[in-house]
Amino acid sequence: MPVIELSYSRLQKLIGKVSKKQISDSLPFLGLDIESEDKDLVRIEYSPNRPDYSTDYGVALGLQGLLGIKTGLVKLAIKKSKNYGITVKPTVSKIRPFVTGIIAKNGKIDDKTIKQLMTMQEDLHFGIGRKRKKSSIGIHDLDKISFPLIYTTVSRNHKFIPLNSEKELSISEIITDTETGKDYGPLLGQSSQVPIIIDTNKKTVSFPPIINAAITTVTTKTKNLFVEVTGINKDDAEDMLSVVATILQSAGFNLEHIQISGAKNSSPKLQEKKMTVDSSLINQTLGLNLNTSKIISSLKKSRLNALSKGKNIICTIPAYRFDIFGPMDLVEEVALGYGIQNFEPTISPSQTLGQINPISLQLKSLNQTMIGLGFLEALNSSLSSKRVLYDMTNRDSKNIISVLDSKSQEHTILRDSILPGLIENLSRNIHESYPQKMFETGGIFNLDNPISEKTNLSAISAHKDANFTEIKSVLQTVLKIGFGIEIQTKTAVNSSFEDGHCANIIFNGNIIGIIGEINSKIIDNYKIRVPVVGFEISLSDSILKFI
Amino acid sequence: MSQVFHDIEKKIITSLKENPIQTPETLEKSTQLLPDQIRRGIEWLKLKNLAIVDESKSSTISLGKNGLDSFEKGLPERRLLNLVKNGPRKLSDLQKELGFIFGPAMGLCRKNNWIETSSDKIILKITPSILPGEKTIQQIGKNKLSKEQIDKIDLTELLKRPDFIVEDIIKSKKISLTTSAKSIDVSNTSGAIDVEAEVPEIFVARTHPLKDTIDEIREIFVTLGFSEILGNMTQSSFWNFDALFTPQDHPARELQDTFFLDGISAKKIGTVEQIRKVSDSHKKNWRYQWDINEARKMVLRTHTTCVTIKHLAENKPDEARIFSLGRVFRNEKVSYKHLVEFNQIEGIVVGKDANLRNLMGIQREFYKRIGITKIKFWPTFFPYTEPSLQTMVYNEKLGKWIELFGMGIFRPEVTKPLGITKPVLAWGGGIERIAMLKYDLDDVREFYNNNLGWLRSNTKCQ
Repeated sequence: MPVIELSYSRLQKLIGKVSKKQISDSLPFLGLDIESEDKDLVRIEYSPNRPDYSTDYGVALGLQGLLGIKTGLVKLAIKKSKNYGITVKPTVSKIRPFVTGIIAKNGKIDDKTIKQLMTMQEDLHFGIGRKRKKSSIGIHDLDKISFPLIYTTVSRNHKFIPLNSEKELSISEIITDTETGKDYGPLLGQSSQVPIIIDTNKKTVSFPPIINAAITTVTTKTKNLFVEVTGINKDDAEDMLSVVATILQSAGFNLEHIQISGAKNSSPKLQEKKMTVDSSLINQTLGLNLNTSKIISSLKKSRLNALSKGKNIICTIPAYRFDIFGPMDLVEEVALGYGIQNFEPTISPSQTLGQINPISLQLKSLNQTMIGLGFLEALNSSLSSKRVLYDMTNRDSKNIISVLDSKSQEHTILRDSILPGLIENLSRNIHESYPQKMFETGGIFNLDNPISEKTNLSAISAHKDANFTEIKSVLQTVLKIGFGIEIQTKTAVNSSFEDGHCANIIFNGNIIGIIGEINSKIIDNYKIRVPVVGFEISLSDSILKFI
Repeated sequence: MSQVFHDIEKKIITSLKENPIQTPETLEKSTQLLPDQIRRGIEWLKLKNLAIVDESKSSTISLGKNGLDSFEKGLPERRLLNLVKNGPRKLSDLQKELGFIFGPAMGLCRKNNWIETSSDKIILKITPSILPGEKTIQQIGKNKLSKEQIDKIDLTELLKRPDFIVEDIIKSKKISLTTSAKSIDVSNTSGAIDVEAEVPEIFVARTHPLKDTIDEIREIFVTLGFSEILGNMTQSSFWNFDALFTPQDHPARELQDTFFLDGISAKKIGTVEQIRKVSDSHKKNWRYQWDINEARKMVLRTHTTCVTIKHLAENKPDEARIFSLGRVFRNEKVSYKHLVEFNQIEGIVVGKDANLRNLMGIQREFYKRIGITKIKFWPTFFPYTEPSLQTMVYNEKLGKWIELFGMGIFRPEVTKPLGITKPVLAWGGGIERIAMLKYDLDDVREFYNNNLGWLRSNTKCQ
């Protein structure tokens, strides 16, 4: 989940009369986890469904509501204007079809504001923009641009001075030589034409979704902003714009419309939407008995507007709250506005009788029997490695099931056997006193359209007198005393075991496992200095079969 | 007061009176005791200040497998030099004759400029009269020598080579009696045994501590009226993500967070109706082109919720209390805080009157039963529940609130497409975190290290 750094003193200025403690006490009840605090600075984690919390302006709006300082919907006041327009050329339709935008005027921008806007932009790109694939933003100094603009395509030879560069670069150079070019260039595929926003004097403004032109860079001297959002879906692009517009208005800017036309594009509406929720759904879901006025005041604390019509609550939802899909989301808004700390947990009597799964019960009996036989229970990961599963134990690695891009080398392959892990465990305990006897029950995996999962039991015994007879006695006893099952052992050859000291375990005529003295090469590989014996059986094919 | 002695002690004292300075081995012979009994007896007497133990160390040197080989046939480089002594030889022939020692021999001869190669031939330049290590190999031969007898520089050369030299460190102990012990008359003591003496440690076979916690949690939920269901650890993305309203381009569905099984897809992922309705819900609410191939990709489940939702979709109960418990997987860097594979419990309540306060009540009851009473709830976000909460529990030792189970009510976007009509309360969380609090562990990896020292000594009832 994304994390941002906020300053208490700046929040206090934005919210109004509020103490630092009130802020830190309230943040969690907005769904914002405090990661760490350092004097005036606080780092919070917010949920990706609330991109409006990616700046302190958005957090301040939320806190004002929860603390009852300012409640109700944040209305966007967007001045109608004919001064700003973008014409869209049909050539963009195959690459990045949609553009939208807004003008924000007469704001004060200091370093901290720039920093907040930058984080917001990055978080929006990463989250709802899906790493700029769905939609991306450019924020520009309005006074460096001459309207109207054209959103069109150019060839990869097109040149301009991009952000953070001193000289002109071609599109191809930007994609191969700059950091953002390398990161996001692949979004444009192999297309020879790339999207571009050009102003009326043919100056390049932006090369979406990669980089802005250097000339429109926002600095502390900037007063007026032009914001553009481009994307592959019109609604997604407008969603992103609605967050930016709301934040900029909260930061003190006056918003003005941009007229957008051509190639299926149109001017953004950033409209509020209405949604109705039945008050009985709210009370039933939350386990409360709130009257409509309490429901309405709670919704207002969540910065929505609401009015009642009989049992129904009609809500007005601002454009930036596109995380609200349906009535159940409004139920949550009521819960947050009401305050989660005000909910008294209740326990309702159970209408059902509890039951442990029969398989869990069987496994528990098996464990008890193994412990009675003097074996200690071990636990290993089911995601293991080629080294442990195959290389160290001379096993055939033909049908391995591996995971993609594991961050840990020790966890790359799903185990098809438990025994190799137990032998590896012995190697980590050579300094501990012997005898060492361990067992493990757990899942194993095999390729089988697509994968079959079975439960196995494996046990090992390591000490100077360990031998086949000892481990066969254990196997025989655990199955007979535990489950009344009789097995036979038939000579077998297996690379993990010593020749002539290894047998298949047979139950009802089927091979259900293997038993024997572990091959001395494996013991040497692990530098274990005593003989090791062990077995592994499929429980799914024996005792668990009859449940 | 007359001292009480164990039989072992009596025998050792008697023997030492006859023969005042001995090793454990000579004591073994004279007392007819087992090595372990001698070891313990000496330890006891030492503790009582009756015996003095002088420990010293010495090394013996003998030849390893390769060392013996060189003793018989000469050092690899000598053997190579001998072969080219009478004129240039073909490289491939030498390789055949010398086998695996050819490589190391060539390396050494070339480095020291004893030979040169010209096209595929090897030509002798100088024959050194004696090579480093040769003298020592001859000196040791098939014997064991004390380290002091051997030329240090020459030995260092050989120690660098694999399996040439075997060094045995011999610890020797010399045991004698203290002055006060010399006057003890062991024959004079009664038949009493020393009941105050230390006894050897024995180890209990037992269940794994993490399993104890898992069993405890399982039993708590059963007593709260819940039934356990089981499910596979490998799941299609459909049940792990799509059915839980997690869009296909959601960051959680990337390789860096979730383990995808290399090249493995499920053919059958659900009924035609389930697939149609789930994909419709995605298309309508998330506005993208839903791709069935994405849903077929097999993953290691990231939560046990996939097991519960599948159960609900198949059974559509109007009233149920169900839980599942098992391993879940995240593609994370392993650290003291994170494992790639851990256990999760996940429970649900289905019922027409199920509500958020009930959900909080079940949590409170559960925590109470595992001994946690200071809890609070914070709002949070999960893609498949609305409203969503998390429990914070206060840890006295750490002096801070820590996050435990997440919970919520399944979104209509999850339940409706699968034909589930009643509200579903759901919660879940990692078990290792609870077990770490219980066993006072700082490093979660300890649960899977199978370190016998820890497993054997850990207190069972905590």
